[in-house]
Amino acid sequence: MFNYNSAGGLALPHRRRFLQEAGLGFGSVALASLLHGDTAAAAPVDQLAQKPPHFPGKVKSIIWLFMTGGPSQVDTWDYKPELQKRDGQPLAGSDPKTGFFTTSGKCLKSPFKWQQHGQSGSWVPEIFPHLSKHVDKMCFLHSMYLKQNNHAPAAIELMCGTNRPGLPALGSWMVYGLGTQNQNLPAYVVLHDTRPRGDDQIWSSGFLPKSYQALALDARRKEAIDNLARDGKHTDAQQRSQLDLIRQLNQEHADVRPTQADLAARINSYELAYRMQMAAPEALDLTRESKKTHELYGLNTLACSTFARQCLLARRLVERGVRFVQIFAGKGTSTDGSVNDVPWDCHTELDTNHRSCGLHTDQPAAALLADLQNRGLLDSTLVIWGGEFGRTSDSQGAKGRDHNPNGFTIWLAGAGVKGGLHYGATDDFGYKATQNKVHVNDLHATLLHLLGLDHTKLTARFNGRDFRLTDVGGEVLKPILS
Amino acid sequence: MKHPLFLGLVVSCLLAPVGRSADNDGKHFFETKIRPVLVDKCYSCHSVKARDAKKLKGQLYLDSAAGIAAGGESGAVLVKGKSKESLLMKALRFDGMEMPPSGKLPETVIDDFAKWIDMGAPDPRTGDAVEKPKREISIDEGKKWWAFQPLRPVPPAYTKTIDQYIHEAQKAKGLTANKPAGREKLIRRVYFDLIGLPPSEEQVAAFVRDPSPTAFEKVVDELLASPGYGERWGRHWLDVARFAESGGYEFDGFRPGAYHYRDWVIRALNADMPYTQFVRMQLAGDVLEPDDIEGAAATGFLVAGPYPGQITAKTVERIRYDQLDDMLMTIGGSMLGLTLGCVRCHEHKYDPIPQQDYYALAAALAKTVHGPRTLDLDPTVTRQALTKHAADHAPLVATLKAFAAKDLPARFDAWRKTELAKQPDTPRWQSLEPVTFVADRAFLKELPTGILAFDGTTSPAQRRQRGQRPVGTDEHYRLTFHTHQKNLTSLRLDTLTEKSLPQRGPGLNPDGGFQLAEVIVTARPLHPQANEAAMVVKLKPVSAAFADEGQPLANAVDGKPGTVWMVRATAKKDNAAIFDFERPILGFANGTELFVELKFREMGLGRLRVSVSTEPAPATWAGDTAPQHVAELRAIAAAHGAKMPSNVLESLARWLAPFDAETATVFHAVRDHAAAAPRPKLVEVYTTINGGQDVFFLRRGEVDAKNGKAEPGIVQVLHRGPPKKLDVATDARVALADWMTDVDYGAGPLLARVIANRIWQHHFGDGLVGTPNDFGVQGEKPTHPELLEHLAAELVRGGWKLKALHKTILLSAAYRQSHEITEANRKLDPDNLYLWHFKPRRLEAETIRDSLLAIGGNLDAKLYGPSVLDNSTRRSVYLRVKRSELIPIMTLFDAPEPTQSIGERVVTTVPTQALALMNSPFVRQQAEKFAARINPTKSVDVDAAIDRGYRAAYGRAPTEGERTKMRTFIDQQRTATGGATPAATHAAIVEFCHVLFCLNEFVYVD
Repeated sequence: MFNYNSAGGLALPHRRRFLQEAGLGFGSVALASLLHGDTAAAAPVDQLAQKPPHFPGKVKSIIWLFMTGGPSQVDTWDYKPELQKRDGQPLAGSDPKTGFFTTSGKCLKSPFKWQQHGQSGSWVPEIFPHLSKHVDKMCFLHSMYLKQNNHAPAAIELMCGTNRPGLPALGSWMVYGLGTQNQNLPAYVVLHDTRPRGDDQIWSSGFLPKSYQALALDARRKEAIDNLARDGKHTDAQQRSQLDLIRQLNQEHADVRPTQADLAARINSYELAYRMQMAAPEALDLTRESKKTHELYGLNTLACSTFARQCLLARRLVERGVRFVQIFAGKGTSTDGSVNDVPWDCHTELDTNHRSCGLHTDQPAAALLADLQNRGLLDSTLVIWGGEFGRTSDSQGAKGRDHNPNGFTIWLAGAGVKGGLHYGATDDFGYKATQNKVHVNDLHATLLHLLGLDHTKLTARFNGRDFRLTDVGGEVLKPILS
Repeated sequence: MKHPLFLGLVVSCLLAPVGRSADNDGKHFFETKIRPVLVDKCYSCHSVKARDAKKLKGQLYLDSAAGIAAGGESGAVLVKGKSKESLLMKALRFDGMEMPPSGKLPETVIDDFAKWIDMGAPDPRTGDAVEKPKREISIDEGKKWWAFQPLRPVPPAYTKTIDQYIHEAQKAKGLTANKPAGREKLIRRVYFDLIGLPPSEEQVAAFVRDPSPTAFEKVVDELLASPGYGERWGRHWLDVARFAESGGYEFDGFRPGAYHYRDWVIRALNADMPYTQFVRMQLAGDVLEPDDIEGAAATGFLVAGPYPGQITAKTVERIRYDQLDDMLMTIGGSMLGLTLGCVRCHEHKYDPIPQQDYYALAAALAKTVHGPRTLDLDPTVTRQALTKHAADHAPLVATLKAFAAKDLPARFDAWRKTELAKQPDTPRWQSLEPVTFVADRAFLKELPTGILAFDGTTSPAQRRQRGQRPVGTDEHYRLTFHTHQKNLTSLRLDTLTEKSLPQRGPGLNPDGGFQLAEVIVTARPLHPQANEAAMVVKLKPVSAAFADEGQPLANAVDGKPGTVWMVRATAKKDNAAIFDFERPILGFANGTELFVELKFREMGLGRLRVSVSTEPAPATWAGDTAPQHVAELRAIAAAHGAKMPSNVLESLARWLAPFDAETATVFHAVRDHAAAAPRPKLVEVYTTINGGQDVFFLRRGEVDAKNGKAEPGIVQVLHRGPPKKLDVATDARVALADWMTDVDYGAGPLLARVIANRIWQHHFGDGLVGTPNDFGVQGEKPTHPELLEHLAAELVRGGWKLKALHKTILLSAAYRQSHEITEANRKLDPDNLYLWHFKPRRLEAETIRDSLLAIGGNLDAKLYGPSVLDNSTRRSVYLRVKRSELIPIMTLFDAPEPTQSIGERVVTTVPTQALALMNSPFVRQQAEKFAARINPTKSVDVDAAIDRGYRAAYGRAPTEGERTKMRTFIDQQRTATGGATPAATHAAIVEFCHVLFCLNEFVYVD
């Protein structure tokens, strides 16, 4: 009657053991893999231990520059001469209810000057003078689409694979699949300014153990980490003697409870916490970078200083083995009329809005690509640029664009992808993806593939179902792989 | 790239096998126009070759005529001769699904396919239809699954105890039973277990000293009776109910009335509400107890899920089905241990649950919409207050009657003789003194000179559902006035501004405006005589000072509730309207009661006054206005002379009061007391409100693929007896609740098993069924099936009382056994499936925080009420649960994301937890408070402090070894800060307290 032969590649250890030993934390003794079905292991499972991938992957770390609010594809990376020609004319087949408000149905041309760049001859608008130098590193996906047409649901769909909250985001799946490369730092870091709309639902670990959750660092608090600093009155020696005593007594407690593997992990967790107290401030300390690097990123340039700091932090974190760093771009200058938690959301004044967002992100993002390349990190790091959706090709009001999830561009640069490639396409007006459409599940399947993970085998059971990041879809975009 | 799977409700072929077409033209057309496209664009995913390469999609083969005929997972690919009805054409046209996924084919090619299908889809290709693995759901087979069977009744001879089941299973595995836990361990275990707090030193000492054989039972009884029980076990239920106080998604709007559900759960558990009632109330409390806050609070269960704050036209319908899905999944997971979410899009892959059942349940929830309601927080208190008020009122009325009969005639007579002639003439407009005034949505109060003013809201604006008008949200004022005058000709309504009103009013809508749909005036005899009958007085609109364009005053008396006199653009200033009575009101013999109804759209008026005129067609608001009193006294004098009926005398008091102090005293005593009638204490409750639409079957869960209306129903595999449709004549949710709690025919047996398992799970760390939210085929089977059956049957037999079940379990030897380990047992059963020892467990986030506060000596034990932030010292169950701003110390120690039903929390051990315990200001603060408790005089008696610290934190004395280590540690610490002075010693004791919080023993309970 029933199909016992589950299609999913579920290979979790016995559930009870999974729960009891879940998240033993860093540095436990045995490294039985959750993914690879070592169900016989009686020793503790260290959920964050580095795990072998399903197959060798080219990417070790991902940095996602999340362009919060939804940049317009036809004003960034998807040049449409036809749209430029037909400014003000009716947009055939337009649906005024595509986005959140109502659009005019009339074409709105891009207000920017466009030029071709690089060997690939890629068209770039004037708002990206720095990034335009790196087009030959970028693999453009012009035919992205998703279902949700408002910020939070779309961002949740883009990061978690479906629009329903409560499911783990890409970063959590990554760490779940691969473990951490540096036990002294969190494996999944989110850098944000004003929290983006949708908030931590976008970087949720969902039903996965909290060991896979992101550490979110707020630019407004200069990336301060809670509880990291020792009480001001304490000396290191005092804390050390405290920790030694804790270890001793915890060990005695654990010795007579040999079946409780988590007790051993807990002993370790204090040592790791102690090390993290030192490692994390070091990783986040930008004064250790040269003046030249600061200048490269634009750290001292008011218009882009926040994003510059975040990009430089991302490089430092990736350098230290952090798996996934996601930067949610905040707002640039204060008078451009954009909204803090969705800066690219150009409903009224596309021109000023995108210029300002460009100014805030262009130089740091370009610096990140250059810096990663110079340090050889681009061979193992993938940089992603993109927001939760695109914009309508017709206007909202006179000079704005509404949300448009039916076709937008993101680009990938670095390990494992072909630079200078333009994959997929929207129609002549950039309104809808038409060729080689890429759903978010396909993007995720591809990213996991680059990491050495088979998206159909990376599953976790929750409430009776084996969940995947790619839900029931997803195809690896083979043509973009290098 | 995304392949919509061609899954459908009916996986069957509508086509007869394609016969041989003699049409050579057709074959030619196929060969030239169709086959090349199929080969080029379709075979890569829909062919035998694709299958062999593991690339077959949607179980669809397009590489043979038979394959096309057989269709795919979505059913028939095409209908011969009818291109318009063919799924293939929809796919090619990108209408609902998109094929080929690499991009839409040119229109000419698509047209060719339409033509080909209309020709009868001639197809000369051979090749067999490939047999497809197809899973038919069989309900009858499904009923054989252990969890779906009826409860096995416990025969009288079969009265085993819990321990007999456990021991038999152990014996069979060669395991030996453990010794009992020591009393210090046991009391600590049961305190955390039942109330989530550590026992105090005194409580430990009392239990250890108690020689009685029922000492433990006494502790259990005390704890079960303590309100802490509901706080602790309510939190477990809130996990499965995915309770939160905000909408999640875009703006994560806070739901100020959501906490009532949390309080209801705690109260219900503390009151030991039978579990069936607990379930029924959560499913249909709003219908079962319609006017009681209990009912509304309980159905907070249905609406606790996330819900977008911003809904676009494109997403409204999908979001509605998401909302139903959220309710269904939660009901399934929490109450029935069934995973229903996947059935939205396809038949359950493992459990015998067809899509039909999913949509039947969804239809049962069709009339369930999220929203706030305003209800009386404590109807009993209000009822008592009203009874008392009524009792107090009666003597005042009696005094007035006595006064009217005895004193009033003479006083009126005197006044009439000396004063009446001095009174001014009757003005054009007489303002009426309201006698009664009630409204649906507002409280009104009377101000001097007959003005009625808004005095608080009775019910909040219910959120307007898209495209339909909500029920019961429109204001309706009902006012009565008395008069003894004859020939009333006109009515005037003044609407007045005031600075306290929204935008100064005069309306109560946020823009200061109002929309008056109908004014209805009824004249009825105040003291009816023979042949007198009430009559509705027809009104003619005369004029209004202001009306919005196109929405004139006439709309308020046209008998059409859909049209209004609109004052919105013209709001923010005083306004007045005049109506003529079509025929003058002649007046009844012993007085007339005017019943004036004002029916608004949305909210009513902030300030108003009603006046009448006796002038023929005054048609203007110019001229004097005065209260009606003098005219009434004149009218009464004229009608009755000196000899008046007693009921007229009682009315007379009202009119004479302004002119006679003694009359005023007696009359005002009655009037003022009536005005001070107690009001309910109203609070907002986030619950179910009216609304909702029919539910349709959706192909693949997509809202644009509707497939007929769904009727409310049940999960068939759990049903016994004749097929069941829910009785919608009562209420679909009530009927569902009845069925869910029905042990004989409905889901009762599974309901009992699931909750019995949850109770076991929280006492022992693991359920007898290891997957508490999944009793289906994918879930784990029970480790002790007979024991689970026994517990479930006992629960039912005991009237579904949970506390009795707790007690049975807690008094078992299995619960009271030691945590200690024997090597032999460990080898045989390393996972402790057979409970040969009591497994130590880490405390949950809430319990860790509550313990820190309790041991720090500053836990605020206040029960219930609006949620608080973590700067509060109240128990953690009262911490605010805002979906996008979860409280860090809670999530750090694994409090779940409140988005889906969570049956068991995962326990993680990560360095950030260690950092929090080592460095967080909160923990430090508690360590300081703890030190002040154990060393209140800041003495230097270190040994005493160590002893007290261990007893308070761990419920036991330190061992010699621990005492020595701690003494050394304290010495080191105080040496570092200044030696053996009281201050340095106390500082070192703070460090000692801090260490106690960091040790495993603090967060692990044996």
